Amino acid sequence: MTSVLSSDERGALAAEYALGLLTGDHLAYARQRAASDPEFAQSVTDWEIRFAALTDDLTDETPSPAVKKALQAEVFPKTARQPFFQRLWVWQAGAALSLSVLVAVLALDFGTPDQTTGPLYIAEIAADAGDFRVVAVVDKSTDEIFLTRTQGAAPEGRILQVWAHGESGPTVSVGLWPDGESIRLPLPETIAAVGGILTIGVSEEPPGGSSTGLPSGRVFGTVDIPGVSGQL
Amino acid sequence: MTQNQRHEIETLIAQTALGNQNAFSKLYDATSGKLLAVCMRVLSERAAAEDAVQEVYVKVWKNAGRYQVTGHSPMTWLITIARNTSIDRLRSRRSDDDIADHSERIASPELSPEQSAIAASESKRIMGCMDELKPDRRAAISGAYLDGKSYKDLSEQFAVPLNTMRTWLRRDLAALRECMTR
Repeated sequence: MTSVLSSDERGALAAEYALGLLTGDHLAYARQRAASDPEFAQSVTDWEIRFAALTDDLTDETPSPAVKKALQAEVFPKTARQPFFQRLWVWQAGAALSLSVLVAVLALDFGTPDQTTGPLYIAEIAADAGDFRVVAVVDKSTDEIFLTRTQGAAPEGRILQVWAHGESGPTVSVGLWPDGESIRLPLPETIAAVGGILTIGVSEEPPGGSSTGLPSGRVFGTVDIPGVSGQL
Repeated sequence: MTQNQRHEIETLIAQTALGNQNAFSKLYDATSGKLLAVCMRVLSERAAAEDAVQEVYVKVWKNAGRYQVTGHSPMTWLITIARNTSIDRLRSRRSDDDIADHSERIASPELSPEQSAIAASESKRIMGCMDELKPDRRAAISGAYLDGKSYKDLSEQFAVPLNTMRTWLRRDLAALRECMTR
């Protein structure tokens, strides 16, 4: 589209528009041009880039942690696309889940399991406060656990740690989850040997993990998986 | 900002556009210090500025997919959203006119920031070029950008008719552009 404005007129109008100085008819006209005239739109952007340099001298200010918490609470529940495993969870909750579909899904995401003869258990760990959710898949064919965060994260400078215990056995660390949305961890021998109720939990810990052998930070939540067995 | 930092922020914006919450969190951590400084400069009070910052990042989350078509560099895109959001809040008591809204903007003819008509070196020159203007005119431009002043505010501040103020400012903006592209 050819602009009806001369280069100078376009430049001045674009600068006024970028500064927010226009009102009434002038504003309506500039807004319409910005939406329809690529050269005018570019001219507005160019001015925005120039004016942004007026903030170069400002010293950074650290927002309070509450701002990020409120932001995440506002943004994620409403607009986040449902991660893969969350959808998986919904299927499973609805009715019987086809194991072959699930195996295919796991193969897609994590590579082909060594064998496909062991059961898979799916559970969700959700914080009561609603700010943290993890979907856990225990794969008894390989004695591994896959975890995917669907909401929330460790606080700044902290990491996640995964814990497990059997009905009467001690809580042991399954492993550290320092970064990323998903992680795959081999189950420790004592946890792989658990039959019946297997409890999985996630806590936030200092980098390097808890030094006490038990969760030392906030435990976001735990989930009990009943009827765990190595046999299909 | 180094080329690496710029690339990192662009990557985070791209991942945010795909709905990656972790990338969005990292983007916030990397840039919220600067954006709060911008909001505080406009709004003066920390509490009001922090509210604005939250709104800014909601817009970033929703509009990250549009970043590539604006022709901005990543930081100028974020700074512009922060500045415009703050000015809108500053003015909200007296007007409902939203200022330059990216969501209503047609894609620029040159899409990638690398091809943007404004080189980084040119944008840095604005400080030097502002210094070439008369002090009160310089104050008028920075008053409009950082304090959200309208032509009416400026004409009262400088005790001239509104149309005179507009003529002056347009002339100064033309001089500024001429200086920066020199």
